[in-house]
Amino acid sequence: MSDHGGVVAAATGAEALSTELPVGRSAGWWGMVMFVATEATLFACLLGSYFYLRFQYGPTWPPDGIETPELLTPLVMTAVLLPSSLPVVWAERGIRQGQRWRLRSGLAATIVLGVTFLALEAAEYAETLKRFTMTTDVYGSLFYLITGFHGLHVLVGLTMLGWLLAASLRDGSFGSHRHERVRNAAIYWHFVDLVWVAILFTVYLSPRL
Amino acid sequence: MTTRPGPHARLTGGLLLWYGVLGGAVAWGVHVFAAWGLDELACAAGSDHVAAVPLWQAVGLAVVIPGLFTVGSLLVAALVWRRTGRAGEEDRPFGRSRMLAVVGVWSNLLFLTIIVLGGVAVLVLPPCQG
Amino acid sequence: MSTTTTPPPGVSAQDLARLAEHWAERPTLRGWFSTVDHKKIGRRYLVTAGFFFVLAGLSALVMRTQLARPEAGVVSPQEYNQLFSMHGTAMIFLFATPMLFGFGNFLVPLMIGARDMAFPRLNAFGYWVFLFAGLFMWASLPFGAAPNNGWFAYAPLSEEQHNPGLHMDVYALGLLFLGISTTAASINFIVTALKLRAPGMSLNRVPLFVWAIVATAFMVIFALPALNADNAMLFLDRRFGTHFFDPSAGGNVLLWQHLFWIFGHPDVYIIVMPALGIVSAVLPAFTRRGVVGYPLIVLSIVSISIISFGVWVHHMFATGLPQLSYSFFSAASTIITIPSGIQIFAWLATMLLGRLVLRVPLLYVIGFVVTFVLGGFTGAMFAVTAFDQQVTDSYFVVAHFHYVLIGGAVFPMLAGIYYWLPKITGRMYHERLGRWAFWLVFAGMHVTFFPMHLYGLFGMPRRVYTYRSEPGWDGWNLVSTVGSYLLAVGLLLVLVGVVHALRRGRPAPPDPWEGDSLEWTTASPPEPYNFPVQPRVHSLHPAWDERTADSVGAGATADRILSDGRRTLITSELDAHPERAVQMPESTLMPLVLAGALLIFFTSMLLAWYPVAAVAALAVVATIAVWLWPPRRPDEELGVAR
Repeated sequence: MSDHGGVVAAATGAEALSTELPVGRSAGWWGMVMFVATEATLFACLLGSYFYLRFQYGPTWPPDGIETPELLTPLVMTAVLLPSSLPVVWAERGIRQGQRWRLRSGLAATIVLGVTFLALEAAEYAETLKRFTMTTDVYGSLFYLITGFHGLHVLVGLTMLGWLLAASLRDGSFGSHRHERVRNAAIYWHFVDLVWVAILFTVYLSPRL
Repeated sequence: MTTRPGPHARLTGGLLLWYGVLGGAVAWGVHVFAAWGLDELACAAGSDHVAAVPLWQAVGLAVVIPGLFTVGSLLVAALVWRRTGRAGEEDRPFGRSRMLAVVGVWSNLLFLTIIVLGGVAVLVLPPCQG
Repeated sequence: MSTTTTPPPGVSAQDLARLAEHWAERPTLRGWFSTVDHKKIGRRYLVTAGFFFVLAGLSALVMRTQLARPEAGVVSPQEYNQLFSMHGTAMIFLFATPMLFGFGNFLVPLMIGARDMAFPRLNAFGYWVFLFAGLFMWASLPFGAAPNNGWFAYAPLSEEQHNPGLHMDVYALGLLFLGISTTAASINFIVTALKLRAPGMSLNRVPLFVWAIVATAFMVIFALPALNADNAMLFLDRRFGTHFFDPSAGGNVLLWQHLFWIFGHPDVYIIVMPALGIVSAVLPAFTRRGVVGYPLIVLSIVSISIISFGVWVHHMFATGLPQLSYSFFSAASTIITIPSGIQIFAWLATMLLGRLVLRVPLLYVIGFVVTFVLGGFTGAMFAVTAFDQQVTDSYFVVAHFHYVLIGGAVFPMLAGIYYWLPKITGRMYHERLGRWAFWLVFAGMHVTFFPMHLYGLFGMPRRVYTYRSEPGWDGWNLVSTVGSYLLAVGLLLVLVGVVHALRRGRPAPPDPWEGDSLEWTTASPPEPYNFPVQPRVHSLHPAWDERTADSVGAGATADRILSDGRRTLITSELDAHPERAVQMPESTLMPLVLAGALLIFFTSMLLAWYPVAAVAALAVVATIAVWLWPPRRPDEELGVAR
């Protein structure tokens, strides 16, 4: 059996096949990942409900003369929200090396981007509410439930980041040995970002397909 | 067991193990979701074609591809089981991998059965019969 | 390590004193409210779930009294609707899962050789939320505002225009509230089992009960969001005029059913799975051998927890979808019986090959096998679509799921209560009293529910508050009612047995059953720190294993005693290699405060006091912010670059 060498043989040897994977994660990391998993399932249920109701409804969607949603604002919102993960990553890398200034400035940058996102969403609501509301029909219900629920998550994420920033402005909170809270909040923020992509596709792009 | 595998081989091996254990489950999940979704949506739209493909063939693909993926997973699980069998009982990681391999072999057989049964239904039932 | 002659060997008296000091909680009122000890929290889960069980059981007794004869007038139709809805809702959500999570809370850290759960404060929070959510839902009954739509609350009947009043708002908000607790507990179980196992307990040495709890927790993580989404939409529909389930504005009532059963079918296993884990934990002690086919039972646990997500449509075979799309779910519903069967045959083989010790826990296990197999048999019948359409919504279904749930969950729980009572309370129960209780419960259960198969097949629909005299209905209904009283007396005797043990029971030794898992290697009841030395595990049956015993005796090492603080070991995910020792949190009132703020939030949402709800929501945020605020540490400890 062991007459052929190479990567395949090494990877399918008993030892490689018994590699411990995953390994070395902390309890807090697992807790946050499990929380994000259950939240992601919640969004999957909401988006699944959107498609279910849409396909059960019939050929014209959105119904009742509601126009397909404008793309400009949501695309700008995407352009604001998706890059907002980068400063968090940068901040987290910084505090891993004990650099508090990177933590503080990274968090501040992300918060600015997140608040901009919420402001844009509010502006969009001001526009759409003139045309339809949550009670107009099932399309309105879905639109506001899904985008509103995501907006709420952005708000929660911003609260977490703001709280981290407040804690990091005080000396004695975080350092290269103590940054678990930073990493957990970062995981949550990345999740809120990624979910937005699914929402952009479902709510804004899929009615045009 | 003469040389320790490098980090690349270890990562591949670790991933292979999980493919062997959970591959069938993932394939089955994709199968149910795709086959059910295709059938339900196409029929609700009153069509027996998906794009230019007849519906039963499209659903059939949602059976065959996950089925093959499961067969692959089954083979990997069997491989892990054979490779770890020659190790001593005292070696903890080997014992753990071997148990996971047993779980993988049997669960892949279960999932393969479910997928095949779904395939039989595709051959027997007209896709949109209420 | 200095080896003094004081027991247990390997640990010095100073170490024990330091452990006791670090882990002690003050016996004050404040200490009672602020505890984070998983054993106390586990006990509270058990007692609270037992209390809700009594309430739900009394509701059932009232219903059986009403149905004893045709056209009786014990309760009004409206009251009857609330009774059966609260009975089902409470039994499923407030009794079964929390009771089993209570066992899990008490046992998982003990079985894996840890000193507490991974997140002790989250654990306390989960308990308080469970208690408050349960009280929130039950409190609606005296006001005549309890849920009245059945435990699965189908739309459109649950919508505002068909069902005005607070009834279904209580249901939707109550379950959302409770979901916080269930999710928190599940995350805690998963992380605890992944990271806190004693060194050496690789995945192939994890007790089956722990596997079962972890699989259950995973099912909760991925199934509960569907119920939460459903209830959120129901509440929005009812209160704020959305149209998710309203066909007149493009909504769809089947959406409720799909989401509900995406949750609901895994939920059947969420309830039964940990109970089956109890069976696997109890059997070795009373058959004097390990459970046959350990990897196959693990397989069964894992595959059931996955396949259970693909069978939800079988609750809706009567709703008219294309037949081909049924068949994918039919295939899964049929195949899921195989792993269930594997477990049953593994237990039978264990009993056959072992030497039976016929004590009360084993009696319940045997009662479980008999009852559960009957329930599983009628369950397999439903996988035949044609039969399912015939008996849907009849008493046959009621008979089926009571066989599954009483057989599959309550009997194992009772086995577990008798089995672990010595460990939980430090007292032995009265054997003869326990036997009497068993036979009454067993007979009462079958006399109550077996006739339901018959009058179900004779066409009696479920959820009717009364019925006209029909051939085959009257007599069997009376038999059911007599049986339910018998069952109640039996369960009362169980309670008497527990109280008797607490008051008069003789003190229990650490290991009265010569059990195989780690909880039997420590004191009864365990010290607050669980283990003076965290063991090094060398086999699947550590309590029967000389080398594991040696690791806490002469072979004890300081890195597993950890007496210099409130500490426990973190080990690697798959093979449990020691990684480091971590500091565990002290007791705190924060979980109680947070749960209280949530209670105010949900109550004011129910009563439409939205400004109060907003304030409560802010209080929730503030409490979490204070709770998690990082303690001030010196820069050297933090590691700060200058």
